[in-house]
Amino acid sequence: MEELLEDVVNALVSIVEACGAAVIIIGAVWAFARFVWVGLRRRDTSAFVPVRLTLGRFLALGLEFQLASDVLRTAVAPSFRELGQLAAVAAIRTALNYFLGKEIAEERRQVAEETKGARTGSGSTSAHGSSDPA
Amino acid sequence: MTGVLLALPGLMAQLLSGAALLAGVLTLATTRKPTLALSVFLDLLTAAGLLRLVGDPSWQSIATAAVIVALRHLIGFGLRIGARNWTTSTQDAGRSGPRPGMVVDRLLRPAWRR
Repeated sequence: MEELLEDVVNALVSIVEACGAAVIIIGAVWAFARFVWVGLRRRDTSAFVPVRLTLGRFLALGLEFQLASDVLRTAVAPSFRELGQLAAVAAIRTALNYFLGKEIAEERRQVAEETKGARTGSGSTSAHGSSDPA
Repeated sequence: MTGVLLALPGLMAQLLSGAALLAGVLTLATTRKPTLALSVFLDLLTAAGLLRLVGDPSWQSIATAAVIVALRHLIGFGLRIGARNWTTSTQDAGRSGPRPGMVVDRLLRPAWRR
């Protein structure tokens, strides 16, 4: 019974980790392609921010999958060595997930402020334009 | 299944490390902004570090991923502080004294060309 549980959990861990890895790989490859495209075509600093935000979201989603697999692994972790490795990996993933969340929120706030500033600027310009008698 | 799960992320992590370097250099060449290029490089390097943790990671790959994450935040913090100091000193120089560019010009230009 215990062996069966171990086999099932190991299979589930493999599947969940594969999903997480797939999310990270897809996100990284997409971001690399976009970085090259933006770098060659637009050459604008602000054009890089949405790509970095999306890559951050992909990484955060992949991390969620990997943390889920860590939780599953705790069901069958027989030795203290394995538990130690698991704790270290889970700590890194949790810390990175936390910091990624903060970075995403910060960059989103900056993008929103820039958009708001641009709208205000264009609004004041149009206001000047409408008040212009010519 | 497990073999593929162990081999593919490792291979992709190496490819992503190369891609990170390439994207960083390209960003630096096109935008001429080291901060942005470093951010792009470290973003993709983080993805590579996370892929190294898939499967049954060794202590070395765990330490590598931890160092990348720590380095990323340390460099980001340092760059933000540096940018803030630079902005402040530029504003101060604008109020009183010469521009930083003028000081560098004065230091680098030979005396006979002044």
